[in-house]
Amino acid sequence: MSVASASYLARRAAQKERVRILYRRALKDTLNWAVHRHLFYPDADALREKFEANRNVDNIETIDRMITAGEATYNKWQHPDPYIVPWAPGGSKFCRNPTPPEGIEIIYDYGREDTA
Amino acid sequence: MQSLRNSILNHVRVRVFTTKRLIAGELSALYGDCQQLRTCSTISSNSNDQVMDRVIKLVKKFDKIDAAKVTEKADFQKDLSLDSLDRVELVMAFEEEFSVEIPDAEADKLKCCADVAKYVISTADQKI
Repeated sequence: MSVASASYLARRAAQKERVRILYRRALKDTLNWAVHRHLFYPDADALREKFEANRNVDNIETIDRMITAGEATYNKWQHPDPYIVPWAPGGSKFCRNPTPPEGIEIIYDYGREDTA
Repeated sequence: MQSLRNSILNHVRVRVFTTKRLIAGELSALYGDCQQLRTCSTISSNSNDQVMDRVIKLVKKFDKIDAAKVTEKADFQKDLSLDSLDRVELVMAFEEEFSVEIPDAEADKLKCCADVAKYVISTADQKI
């Protein structure tokens, strides 16, 4: 019995994690589709309502099926050109100014090296 | 990062030489100033406090949170009674405020304002 309940709890925890990540990705994707704030807020509310509607479902199989359906919907509607923070990998400023390797330095003496 | 830099530049005044002839000595002195300024502007205890202030201000603005309960160490889930989806929204607000990308695994670990400030400062180190 305790093994069964432990496995049940583990499965519930995994489901919570999946829902959290799905919501996070979906919310970010909403911002990709609706670039202006006045468009984004109603969309975000609608997304939240979709999640809240199934808050009290307690059949573990049903939850699994719902999450799979949600992930399929998310994958289907993914934005082809999402916003990436400039400094993050894939962003427009990623690795633009990498720090030089150890031991390399620039001496700024503005042409005085010839006279010295 | 850009906004962090702006807020620092608001407080620090850069000295500009108006003399007509800039001799090499002055130039290198100016460069020294810039260098010092740059090391100041990356991370100091001053900007630590600024980041913390901005985090707390943002958390107070979040409409599901009672602003009076917000402190540096207040746990989002236990003390401020947010559920996991609210926390996702809050993390997204932090991402926009500081324009950083917080990976999914890290987002779960941010449990109070102090964690967020620490994370933001650690990413600022890598960026410049």
